[in-house]
Amino acid sequence: MSHSSMTRRGFLKSTAAMGAVAALGISAAGSLVEADPAHAATAGEEKVYKTSCRACIANCAVLAHVRDGRVIKIEGNPESPMSQGGVCAKGLAGIQALYHPNRNKYPMRRVGERGGNQWERISWEDAITEVATKINEMSDKYGSESISVSTGGGGNPHFSNIKRFGEAINTPNVWEPGCAQCYLPRMGAALLAYGRGKPNNLSFSDSNGWDYYYTDSPVTSLVLWGTDPSNSSVATGGRALAELRARPQGLKTVVIDPRYTLDAAKADVWLPIRPGTDVALLLTWTKWILDNEKYDEEFCRSWTNMPYLINPETRLTLKATEAGLEGTDADYVIWDPAANAPVVVQYPMNEGVAAPLFGTYEVNGMQCPTGGELLKQSVEEWTLEKGAEVCWLDADQIERALEIYTDPEGQSGIMQGVAIDQYAQSQQSALGALNLEFLMGNVEKPGTMLQSFAPAPCKDQLGNTPRLLSKDKVMKRAGYLEHKGLICWDMAFIPGIFDMMRDGDPYQIHMWIERSGNKHVVLGNSSCLDEITPNVDYIVHAFMYPTAFSVLCADLILPTTEWLETNLPIPQLNTIVMRQAVTHLFETVEEGIIWTNIVQKCAELGNEHAAKAFDADACMTTPFYKNEYEKQLQHLNKLDMTWEEACEQGVIKWAEEDEYRTYGVYLKPDPATGLPKGFGTPSKKLEVYCESNIILGRTGAPWAQCAEEKPLVLPPASEDYEPLAYYMEPAESPLTDTEYPLVLTEGRLPMYHHGTLRNIPYLREIYPVPEMWIHPEDAEKYGITDGEWVNIESRRGKTHGKARVTTGIAKGVVYQERFWAPELLDSDDPAQAYKVMNVNVLTKNDAPYNPEYGTYTLRGFQVKVSPSDDEILKSVWIEPEQFNAWMPAPSDPTEDVYDYGA
Amino acid sequence: MTMARNCIVVNLDRCTGCFGCEVACKMENDVALGQRWSKVFTVGPVGEYPDMTRYALPTMCQQCEDAPCVSVCPTGASYRDKDNVVLVNKEQCIGCKYCMMACPYGVRSWNADEGCVEKCTLCGQLTSQGKQPACVKSCAAGARFYGDLDDPESAVSKELAKYDEKDIHVLRDAGNKPATRYIMTDMIGTWYDRVEPRGGHQTAAYPVED
Repeated sequence: MSHSSMTRRGFLKSTAAMGAVAALGISAAGSLVEADPAHAATAGEEKVYKTSCRACIANCAVLAHVRDGRVIKIEGNPESPMSQGGVCAKGLAGIQALYHPNRNKYPMRRVGERGGNQWERISWEDAITEVATKINEMSDKYGSESISVSTGGGGNPHFSNIKRFGEAINTPNVWEPGCAQCYLPRMGAALLAYGRGKPNNLSFSDSNGWDYYYTDSPVTSLVLWGTDPSNSSVATGGRALAELRARPQGLKTVVIDPRYTLDAAKADVWLPIRPGTDVALLLTWTKWILDNEKYDEEFCRSWTNMPYLINPETRLTLKATEAGLEGTDADYVIWDPAANAPVVVQYPMNEGVAAPLFGTYEVNGMQCPTGGELLKQSVEEWTLEKGAEVCWLDADQIERALEIYTDPEGQSGIMQGVAIDQYAQSQQSALGALNLEFLMGNVEKPGTMLQSFAPAPCKDQLGNTPRLLSKDKVMKRAGYLEHKGLICWDMAFIPGIFDMMRDGDPYQIHMWIERSGNKHVVLGNSSCLDEITPNVDYIVHAFMYPTAFSVLCADLILPTTEWLETNLPIPQLNTIVMRQAVTHLFETVEEGIIWTNIVQKCAELGNEHAAKAFDADACMTTPFYKNEYEKQLQHLNKLDMTWEEACEQGVIKWAEEDEYRTYGVYLKPDPATGLPKGFGTPSKKLEVYCESNIILGRTGAPWAQCAEEKPLVLPPASEDYEPLAYYMEPAESPLTDTEYPLVLTEGRLPMYHHGTLRNIPYLREIYPVPEMWIHPEDAEKYGITDGEWVNIESRRGKTHGKARVTTGIAKGVVYQERFWAPELLDSDDPAQAYKVMNVNVLTKNDAPYNPEYGTYTLRGFQVKVSPSDDEILKSVWIEPEQFNAWMPAPSDPTEDVYDYGA
Repeated sequence: MTMARNCIVVNLDRCTGCFGCEVACKMENDVALGQRWSKVFTVGPVGEYPDMTRYALPTMCQQCEDAPCVSVCPTGASYRDKDNVVLVNKEQCIGCKYCMMACPYGVRSWNADEGCVEKCTLCGQLTSQGKQPACVKSCAAGARFYGDLDDPESAVSKELAKYDEKDIHVLRDAGNKPATRYIMTDMIGTWYDRVEPRGGHQTAAYPVED
């Protein structure tokens, strides 16, 4: 938006009166704000602020041009080593998001029936008091666990805040639709099997893979497994791959994705895998690597637990005491072939002992296989041919991919995307991929994906306060004992939460405080909310815009800030990119400040637990901040400068590149012992045989804790979590389903993030409705014509998409991304806003779940398609001019609602 | 004096198809909804597995040497400025749209508010101050370059110099001699020089047929 256009259109100032009743939706702008024609065009000085985008999780460094308090231009800041001056469509459209006429501007209380979409403006004091009073009343009457708190990845969120908030108001029932379905499985698996305290795993789009942002990285090939950096991390990951490919030596890539993405189009091998069969392919790769002896034998012997003997009775590593050897129950045992006898491991490895990786040995009357032997047995049936058959792939193409990945002259790495987190085999996919990297020795070497580079002095996430919850309270968390992987993030099991909300099973949830873009768009089988939310007495929604959730479910709406109104330091490689508020509009408040004010009000009104949130002794870690100033100090952490100094620099280089890129950290001596540090697992070895997964299921270690105990030892889950990946055919399978013959997958788009930005004119005109990709052979079979609307139906519901008939999708598979139609919010049937073209009314949130995390099924389930002429489709905005109603309505800055604090 | 050949060069090996250039252009130049001076088409997928091609093709004024839009303009509103850039003088434009029909690439836009034709100006308001065009400055993949093809020190010449002649392409040339160069190697596949999208404004999200 140029300055001239701003003056031409005029700008808006807020004039909404207290008590005026209005609907939220497309007509909100007119009813809440009006233009001030008397305001003359001004041309004050233009100031450029260095800040950081949060239109998605990539946090790209940008320059925000501000004149007369109004943001007039966004461009890239080349100082960021990750985005290097690039910004994608989402970030560039940030001005349209900031000045969107339908911003939630003030706290709004529902008037009349829920779902009637009538609202009145109330003051923040009234809103906070109302929420705090309800929290205290519910806690006294039903117990604080009857309050559920949720967040989500879209729309300038802050994850650790919501956790701290839940713990502060004494509820264990905090959750978000990502988590078990996005990133937690990949992070959790890496914490168990690799054990780095600093999150480090195979997710490139969650800003791992740090070595790949340097073109001198010796990486020669990459496997993009269910990930599309071109779409999911455009200016960071997408840019990094573009730079690596553009080197004189180039970059070979293998893309495993049912879709022929633009990353797939640049790949040497594209494997259009059947959704839901990733583990089958991982097992096939593992077998091929073992059979062809492509693994790094010496690395596997020294730095994985493959040579460790396993006790067949406990299923855990055999300990010296169990083997009848000198030593303790912390000593591991290997086989010494020269002595033809078991010996105790002398960390890191016994000199002169060529411990076998494979084989089964008799020890103390037990037949003890090695960890490697159990891995080998687990992949026995997975020949190339079998893998190709199950995954709908070509065996020769699988082998070509393997030759690239295992090229002895090269250095490869695996990037694993969210696709594998989105069905019941989430943990198995994550463990299986880690094992490939471990077998190949792709760990902490120049050019590998897994690294342990130096940590930044600041914190973007503050960490949870799990020790605020008593044992009694935490044991009431939904899914706590059965899905112990969730304890890694201290989150609850969503289907369990919904059972409580709907049926009071095992107890009723009475209150729901929610912050995110649109739960109806991102939850599996989201129309189940229709029968759940009527049973919840009081619902609060905090977001930047009204969504289907606000209109259909909320009793109170709290307006949150856009990223251009927000402060946060972001670690990016050897720099910190500062996000700073460059303006502030209406009465929006950053969510962390909302949460802390609610907690303070709860305490003021007599909630004794809430008061503990500000007490470091009670939290046993950094307590909750009380205001923006304290928040900033906590985030700056060890960065020795004031917030203002940090923002002035904008991009702060805290280490030289070579100080930052620390390779082979596991080999560095531990000052206490003089021996190599090893990895962060109990054995200090990489757990190819992931016994930590078994132990997690049996006890909750290493994550369970509570106010009284750390560790908190829990009773076991109903079945052991498996230490090795295994394949399970999806519950709804194209091999057996005759009624719903096609497999559905989802996948990212470059102009949207999660459920957000469908209300941004310049983005929506590019991609107004979701495409449903279908192969020409399938299109012919089901009478689908390119460019026409189709019905898509599953066992859970029906929605629509626009057909794109293309060879860019595997046969038998259809692809469509999540979507919703904000233009239908104030129609006669506002539920259509989320139902009309949203694949999440089709997805599956019932069993089978992933044992570890309770992951439900968002990809790899069955649908059928047919041509559609449904009347509702005429109400969906498609023509660019229709989005005029959402063009920015620039507004003058306002004072912050709450005191800064210092 | 030799006239400059200022233009945009796009490296398709780098381009991720994010549509950022479209939005950067519209934000900078306040282009109306439904109009695009810079548009990202998608070519493909074409070919048989495993030998397939698909790529994003950002398209904007190609700064043709023999620009048909200039020669058909009855009023001289379509013209070349002193730096040889093809532009529209809105004051002189009578809205006959001949130039829109004459442009082989469909990259001229209609400004309904002002009743005149518009197009990519190479962001003259920025380049005259030594800055980059908006689409180049913020390109998320570092895929866009601006400068004079005849100046070996320009960003476009330096980028082109890294590639073989066979990897440098122009859109289909009907004698109009487009200046804009596209870099695309066989990493992506086969270059298709056709830009004949279907389906009006939504073409950005739909493939160009083989």
